[in-house]
Amino acid sequence: MFGKGLIKGLKITMGHFFDKKVTEQYPEERPNLPPAFKGSFKLNVAKCIACGLCANGCPNNVIKIESVKDENNKKKLTGYKMMTERCLYCGFCVEACPPKALQWTKDFELAVHLRDDVNLDLFANYTPSPDDEKPAEPKNEEDSAQAS
Amino acid sequence: MLKTEELTLNMGPVHPSTHGVYRCVLTLNGEYIQNAVNHIGYLHRGLEKLAESRTYNQFIPYTDRLDYCSGLANEMAYVLAVEKLMGIENEIPERAQYLRVICAELQRLASHGICVGSFALDIAGSTGFFYSFRDRDRALELINMIGGNRLTPNFMRIGGVAHDLDEYFLNELNQFCDDLPACFDEYEGLLAGNEILQTRSKGVSVVSKEMALDYGFTGPNARASGIDTDLRRDEPYGIYDRFDFKVPVLQNGDTYDRFVIRVMEMRESVKIIQQAIKDMPEGPVMAKVPKVIKPPVGEVYHRIENAKGHLGFHIVSDGSTKPYRTRIYSPTFVMLSAFPEMAKGTHIMDAVLILASIDIVLGEVDR
Repeated sequence: MFGKGLIKGLKITMGHFFDKKVTEQYPEERPNLPPAFKGSFKLNVAKCIACGLCANGCPNNVIKIESVKDENNKKKLTGYKMMTERCLYCGFCVEACPPKALQWTKDFELAVHLRDDVNLDLFANYTPSPDDEKPAEPKNEEDSAQAS
Repeated sequence: MLKTEELTLNMGPVHPSTHGVYRCVLTLNGEYIQNAVNHIGYLHRGLEKLAESRTYNQFIPYTDRLDYCSGLANEMAYVLAVEKLMGIENEIPERAQYLRVICAELQRLASHGICVGSFALDIAGSTGFFYSFRDRDRALELINMIGGNRLTPNFMRIGGVAHDLDEYFLNELNQFCDDLPACFDEYEGLLAGNEILQTRSKGVSVVSKEMALDYGFTGPNARASGIDTDLRRDEPYGIYDRFDFKVPVLQNGDTYDRFVIRVMEMRESVKIIQQAIKDMPEGPVMAKVPKVIKPPVGEVYHRIENAKGHLGFHIVSDGSTKPYRTRIYSPTFVMLSAFPEMAKGTHIMDAVLILASIDIVLGEVDR
């Protein structure tokens, strides 16, 4: 019978009419983000050893690092700029960081009014917190497997 | 006698039915298309050239941007090609192999979801579009859990995958796979069984087996024309030979078959994911590869069955850390070239439907 499929389709849509709504009411209802989520960046300056591996791993030369050598010939970070406007958000920099100083945040609303505000100055944005003095975590197995 | 003349109509580059920035100049005789001319290149970003100035690892996130509906599958094609070039394709850990298959099939579900949805939308059935996108969004949320991004996850690495996936993700994925067959029944009841859709799409732009072979059709579009080909079965890459799945083949080669075959394929993908979750062993997810990748001098071509057809990477290495040349063979570029012939003689409203049934993604066409 012609029209049977139409009636079947209407039955399906009618069934969903009384269903629970699946739409997320976004600005009021916040999304539930997974742990691996790649939002914006934060840098723990106290942990950073200014090794430059993040800048080396970046496909697009997004990261600009400035550092000075102190009296013990140890590098000290003096500037950390991220040209986020050409960032791919691939996460190679976060993966490469040996002391896990550079990390993702779950901040995803990154729209700003001015173009200059897109770029991040992670060195200036840093606010010290008591947790920073903890020693750097040891490398996990994955890193040591890669290095060998 | 009424004076009549041919009309030249410019469709695109910014037109919702062209699925991106594709432009087509149609010559119309009334409602009928006499001639169609493809204009592409609006989304050309020079990815092949970009590959030459990046190291092998650094190019992985760019492959996500090829066919942005199936990022994980593109990554898989690229890393498999580089692994073949380095000669380490047998050293990839078991768990990583299984995770790769899960990712590729999940991405196939998401990609076919967009095809089914946009086909429904182009035939003016917005309910089908939202049902399909509701399920695709769940797949994207799972991809978000895998890599942290919904479209460009950057999860595969040369020698394995970036990190292990936890029990929580696998449970969610299992739940998703259990829910999906009911959703496919909905698509079939709402769209494929609908008489209006059938009248609009059956017998429209029939691609014969010969024509499909002549134009080099691959993937679901070739299988809708009766060509029994699937790289997952014919030349298994990774561990695809361990899974039990059917390759659906339809004979008519019209837009209706090209639509229905995608729903059939999604059912098979769900089966593959369920088998992979069941068989997945514990263990490492990364092989021992050097941090600086320097493949030996030589060249390699590797292709996989992407959601849209054969996606191939031809990489030439000169022994340095960067590839000398990377060539990308993309399926939809090839199939779009058949569009003028497919559209000839059809109604103008069928042209958007034919485009939707080819399932073009301009990121891949223009590269």
